[in-house]
Amino acid sequence: MAETLLEVKDLAVKYKTDLETVFAVNGISFSLNKGETLGIVGETGAGKTTTALTILRLLPERVGVVGKGQVLFEGEDLLALPEHDMMKKRGDKISMIFQDPMTSLNPVHTIGGQIAEALRLHNEKNRTREQLEARVDEVLEMVGIPPSRKGDYPHQFSGGMKQRVVIAMALACEPDLLIADEPTTALDVTIQAQVLLLMRELRDRLQTAMILITHDLGVVAQMCDRVAVMYAGELVEKGTLADIFTGARHHPYTQGLFGSIPKLEDESKTLLHPIDGLMPDPTDLPEGCRFLPRCPHACEKCKEKQEDIALSPTHTARCHMLERKV
Amino acid sequence: MGASQPLLETRNLKKYFNTAAGKLHAVDDISVRIMRRETLGVVGESGCGKSTLGRTILRLIEPTDGAILFKGEDITRLKAAGMREMRMRMQIIFQDPYSSINPRMSVSEIIAEYMLFHKMYRTRAEAWNRTAQLMNTVGLARRLANAYPHELDGGRRQRIGIARALSMNPEFIVCDEPVSALDVSIQAQILNLLLELQREFGLTYLFITHDLSVVKHISDEIMVMYLGQCVEQAPADELFANPRHPYTKALLSAIPVPDISMRDREIVTIRGEVKSPINPGIGCRFAGRCEYALDRCLQADVPLVGLSEKHLCACVRAGEV
Repeated sequence: MAETLLEVKDLAVKYKTDLETVFAVNGISFSLNKGETLGIVGETGAGKTTTALTILRLLPERVGVVGKGQVLFEGEDLLALPEHDMMKKRGDKISMIFQDPMTSLNPVHTIGGQIAEALRLHNEKNRTREQLEARVDEVLEMVGIPPSRKGDYPHQFSGGMKQRVVIAMALACEPDLLIADEPTTALDVTIQAQVLLLMRELRDRLQTAMILITHDLGVVAQMCDRVAVMYAGELVEKGTLADIFTGARHHPYTQGLFGSIPKLEDESKTLLHPIDGLMPDPTDLPEGCRFLPRCPHACEKCKEKQEDIALSPTHTARCHMLERKV
Repeated sequence: MGASQPLLETRNLKKYFNTAAGKLHAVDDISVRIMRRETLGVVGESGCGKSTLGRTILRLIEPTDGAILFKGEDITRLKAAGMREMRMRMQIIFQDPYSSINPRMSVSEIIAEYMLFHKMYRTRAEAWNRTAQLMNTVGLARRLANAYPHELDGGRRQRIGIARALSMNPEFIVCDEPVSALDVSIQAQILNLLLELQREFGLTYLFITHDLSVVKHISDEIMVMYLGQCVEQAPADELFANPRHPYTKALLSAIPVPDISMRDREIVTIRGEVKSPINPGIGCRFAGRCEYALDRCLQADVPLVGLSEKHLCACVRAGEV
């Protein structure tokens, strides 16, 4: 049995302001084994990034509130840790790659300095300055940037190169868990292919577990072992890559998502099968199944609270219609 | 000419921008022909000049050189008044539905604006009727007529942009990345809408995008651009089945396919990054990243040659690659 690294149990997060309460994440549970890659797929506003920020405890102060649930990392509840202990984990054990490499680097520090910062803060081995610099060179080389460029500033790099710098920063301390939030969305396809290939190689070499957040099912198919489909703050379907991509029975939202992407094997100028309507307003979610207003198969029973239905030992979907034996 | 006359044609269209460092070749010698009721898809990575091409065709940016023929008439020679008339027949849908509509106007005001400006109807009441009809056509609920853009999501805003373009009863629409800012489920709704409108009103599109699966889906013909130049052009299915230019091949192989059987296929990643479009010099602009490059690729410009009647490619080794 593979060892569990991260376990999220019944997590709920809301954003509270004076005017309204946004229910961003509504009771999600998932687990991740060591060395495994989980893809979280969903559209804008589904709660993907909020989930990531909660794991790292980076939610905006006062506004972002964890309603319930636990985030167990190596058996320890991160949500209960004092801030000081959490700082030791962040960047060292768990690190994150943000979507936009243009804004996640500090424009007034050299990239070498920014990579060294994480190393200096988590310097348990008491490495000397020279040893730290040597490590910076090493990680830059690892992501394919000549170490001679470590004195350059972010604006001297292109988008793809900046994302490599961000990856180097995230991997400098060899974390056990890497959370990548739309790491290639801002990049062109050919650069995206380079970055994905690099991430795959490094992950395999360093045996890092990864949570990959994306809206691109193509990226998921190439990178992940397991997939969770998120909609309106809930995980509506979970399973292995094969369960989600080739399995016979799916949550209607997953079906809609697959129907919406233009497929290369289709003749050109054929109509797609989109999902009607829009995501529900997260300040005012529908009762029962969140997908009810857009679902082509909606019925009375959908208004009740939905439970996860096991379709196979690895595959669950939150839709009562799948209870019937097909 | 009759039936074989293209609705829109560009001949050696060029747009150079003057910069401190030299001349930026945004659009360099582009010749295209788009037949009525057809869609030409333009793909390329950021900075390849595809948006500049779209805007230059509508003369939102004045071309440096070359001709733009709409039904055989060279519109680069038109004066302001003539161009104003012409723009009723040629419209554009912009990429970002957040910045391309006026936040201080209501939905119906935005859609009616062009019609009122061009005095298309004798009374305002007629214009409002037409607005209601257009909202219906693009799938906007009547109750949103008095809503403001900030109350709407990206998909609905893009529908406003489409309704505004349709209000002129155009024959030709430049769609500049109309779905790039949208989520997949909304993107599919808008793509279907554009296809349906094309069938219903006999529209002709120039469809600009960086998304290869989208371009395959909507186009009859596809042009691949690299640093201001067309490197390959072919019917959509042919281009995907039989790409000949090394850049097109790399581009197609880089698409992440949502199919797990494709997971372990080899990806042809191309080395390096796009070079600067400022003073690009002679020779093939892709040569620096190309694994098939020869000395002669850099000695002279590589012309676009026909591999078959409809398949054009600008590569000295197109036959062997």
